[in-house]
Amino acid sequence: MSVISKSVQINTKATTQCSTDMFTRIVKFSPRFLLALLILPVLGGLISVLLPAFGYAPVLEQTTFSLQGFNALWQTPGLTQMVTLSVATGLISTLLAFIITLMILAAFFNSPWLNRIQRLLSPILVIPHAAAAIAVGFLIAPSGMISRLASPWLSGWELAPNGMFPHDSFGISIILGLTLKELPFLLLMALGVLAQPELGKKLRQQHKVALNLGYCPMTAFFKVILPSLYPLLRLPLLAVLAYASASVEMPLILGPNTPPTLAVAIMHWFNDVDLNLRIKASAGALLQLAVTGGLLALWLGAEKAVKVLFSDSLTNGVREYGGFYWQKITVVLTTLVIGFILLSLIGLVMWSVAGFWRFPDAMPEQFTLLHFKSALMQMSSPLFNTLAIGLVTTLFAIILTLLCLESEQLSDKPISRFTSLIIYLPLLVPSIAFLFGLVWIQQLVNNQAAFFNVVLTHLLFVLPYVFLSLASSYRRLDPRFAHVAASLGAAPCKVFFKVKLPQLFAPILIAAALGLAISFGQYLPTLLAGGGRIATITTEAVTLANGASRRTSAVYAIMQMALPLIGFILAWGLPKYFFKSARA
Amino acid sequence: MFAIKFWQTLARYSFCCVAFCVCAIANLAAFSSTAFANTVINSNSKSNLVINTQQQSRWQQVQTLGRNQDVYFYAWGGDAQINAYIQWAAQQVKTKYNINLVHVKLSDTSEAVSRVLAEKSANNNNQGSVDLMWINGANFATMSEHSLLLKQWANKLPYFALTDPANNPAVTFDFGLPTNGMEAPWGQASLTFYYDSIAINGKANNKLPTTLNELLNWSAQNPGRFSYPKPPDFLGMSFLKYALVVLHKHSSENIKAQLNQPATTKNTAQVLNPLWDFLDKLHPTLWRGGTHFMQSGAQMRRLVDDTELSLAFTFSAPEVPAAVKRYDLPNSIRSYAMSDGSLSNTHFVAIPYNASHQQSAQLVANFLLSPEAQAQKQKAHIWGDKSVLIQSTLTPDEQALFKTAKPHPSALPLNSIKRTLSEPHPSWVNAIMQGWQTRYGVSQ
Repeated sequence: MSVISKSVQINTKATTQCSTDMFTRIVKFSPRFLLALLILPVLGGLISVLLPAFGYAPVLEQTTFSLQGFNALWQTPGLTQMVTLSVATGLISTLLAFIITLMILAAFFNSPWLNRIQRLLSPILVIPHAAAAIAVGFLIAPSGMISRLASPWLSGWELAPNGMFPHDSFGISIILGLTLKELPFLLLMALGVLAQPELGKKLRQQHKVALNLGYCPMTAFFKVILPSLYPLLRLPLLAVLAYASASVEMPLILGPNTPPTLAVAIMHWFNDVDLNLRIKASAGALLQLAVTGGLLALWLGAEKAVKVLFSDSLTNGVREYGGFYWQKITVVLTTLVIGFILLSLIGLVMWSVAGFWRFPDAMPEQFTLLHFKSALMQMSSPLFNTLAIGLVTTLFAIILTLLCLESEQLSDKPISRFTSLIIYLPLLVPSIAFLFGLVWIQQLVNNQAAFFNVVLTHLLFVLPYVFLSLASSYRRLDPRFAHVAASLGAAPCKVFFKVKLPQLFAPILIAAALGLAISFGQYLPTLLAGGGRIATITTEAVTLANGASRRTSAVYAIMQMALPLIGFILAWGLPKYFFKSARA
Repeated sequence: MFAIKFWQTLARYSFCCVAFCVCAIANLAAFSSTAFANTVINSNSKSNLVINTQQQSRWQQVQTLGRNQDVYFYAWGGDAQINAYIQWAAQQVKTKYNINLVHVKLSDTSEAVSRVLAEKSANNNNQGSVDLMWINGANFATMSEHSLLLKQWANKLPYFALTDPANNPAVTFDFGLPTNGMEAPWGQASLTFYYDSIAINGKANNKLPTTLNELLNWSAQNPGRFSYPKPPDFLGMSFLKYALVVLHKHSSENIKAQLNQPATTKNTAQVLNPLWDFLDKLHPTLWRGGTHFMQSGAQMRRLVDDTELSLAFTFSAPEVPAAVKRYDLPNSIRSYAMSDGSLSNTHFVAIPYNASHQQSAQLVANFLLSPEAQAQKQKAHIWGDKSVLIQSTLTPDEQALFKTAKPHPSALPLNSIKRTLSEPHPSWVNAIMQGWQTRYGVSQ
């Protein structure tokens, strides 16, 4: 047996070394290309923020290095509150989303409800943050759906009361919005890991063994599945944490503004009429970088601490930690989350067709298609842009990811830690910190190809997600298929196209749907890199969300949901259909 | 077996389709960028032509050079009605001059200012992406201070004469700063208030406030029903400026004169202290107890629709009936002007110094000033923005264009603005903003 496998290995090595065909060369070159594509824009952007932060800004006739930006920053009233708010909302929302994800997974592992919950939650994944924030705000506002349902019969309110949500100074609304938005993402990532044929099967079997040994299902999940699952969830978690601590849209719509979170304040300074505020903004961007970095370090540290503290309890043999009650709590929590989301979605749909809708009424006075009509009239070119950018970006991202993963297998050594860190760089570095610098560089290099600039910037955000969702499936492909094919004389190119790709059909579709959804949802990158010339559904929706009616925003939000949703439905439906008919 | 074949073929076909689409899109993108480059080259070679044919009058040159090009108009895009009007203008200049007017919708005009600045810093001095922008006040002050605008063109537009510039400082001064032909007037706006007539029912303690002082009393008796957008929002600043000007109504002439001069460290406290005293009294009575302020005028409108607020204000009066027609505000909304004066200003269009299509942008600006375009804009159901043209300079036919139909019940009744208050010097915006930020920017 060992002789055979050895000879197969030698055989594959021989094939890889001999063939210097086009395909192999492209594959070998692709990781370097990927690195350059990710490092240059982010680092360039950071440097273009770093220089002004230390007072070097030739545009503003400042050519000496100084600390005036930082001095101005420290003197900003309420800076401590801004930082505290950013840290608290980022950390708490990530932690909450993570805990709820684990509870759902633990309580519904091996149950058909897991997929149902996932299907109910996944639309949230594709709602852009701004639209989700508006929907959530409408629910919890003093004049919101919850308050309407209780008025006036219970509360006696004829006019909307004075309330504290949204915009509460503790950031509870932001935490709520971010948690609801990140939960489906983490759940999808976890299910993606569990969907891998090898690993998923192994884990399910181990879970079954634990159940047979008398472990309560939830305990079995935490003791058997989680230790194998967590390492694969770490990067998505860190990305969520980095995003949550530096996001702009949610805190802008749901957060307080006396003072706002740090990221929102930085955006205001960057966009301020007073151009000298740019220096302070750049210094602020560096502070944001430090805050996010600190949070990531804190998370990693806490992870180590948890590992040390709980390593004993993994093997202490205790079967039951009140699993029955935890299961009940999880069911209630899940129902609440889903109910909350459904109520927001119902609100969103009702707003999109609402006529007059005065406060205590739970239903609009009349329904009208006016908002859809007027929105659809102006939607054709943003729609085309959204699709074109999304498709080009995603296709490019998938091809590049596949080539990189293939090169990893051809050269028979995994991508270095450095490379894998770089791939997630755009997710871990707050976009507010490098985007403004990046736009400045794009201006310098080519300022006319707006479409190209936007695609390139989107790629920074799409590539990591596509890589994240494809890498594990690719690495867990059974190598014996490829070895057999190679030993039968198939060139690497043929192995790649005929053996590997067909096996990856489902993961590729999911990665494509995810990539499209990410591209569709980008606001700041589209606006900045396109110079406002490239209007997508998302940029239009955010502009309208800031400027016009909730009814029109609802229409755009529905459009934004519909587009990626079609992608996800195809991604889930096609493989099933494909394999069902293949078996028949 | 058949099924596998079928799916394989289908997969192959769909792969080909995707590949084809990508090629098509790439081609389209390449085509549009080369087309764009061509026009740039054309305009460059044309500008050489200018020097050769100096006998032609200036405007004729602009007309010949400006045709058949793209104009990227960077304008705030948060109002569907205004966006529709710009689309109408785009159709008109398309038929008149074959100009492609592209409305780049901004959520804040400062984005365009940042863009031009970024281009200047990248040494892009003649191929800027902004051709024409909608601007006034502080943004104009910044751009003219940093020399980011094309000079001495607006005063040479043929239709500019119809604004009677010699006797009408409203079109040659922007917030007290001389425009020097850097921007062409587009419209006039006044601060107008609107209220929910079901919520403010005229009973004792709940009578409609028509002066700043009545507003303070009303808000004290009906707490949480009024607020203003957080500075530096344009509308919020406008409310503060209105309050400032009204509070100084009975001050000495010396202090009043300070309002039209730059803010300095010396006069700031003297001029602004009455405002802070007023706000100290007003804030505890506001929505959310004055600890949180809305982000924009549009959000304020939404809060009126939610019945959280009962009274609000806007700089574009026609937006109110338009919002009622779109169901964005309840039927019970009524508009009025404060009896102690309405803050008024003019808004303009300007051309950045590095615009790619300067002549075309001038053609568009001239069209926007034409009686035809101004009359269309003043119609309540189109936009309702007040014309900058002086009626006496127009022919009877042109005057007839401005006749209006019966107004909407929620619209501002005709001639309700009895007295206008002019804007203070733009430097006060910054002074107010900083003072506000230190006093109220961080809630305790």
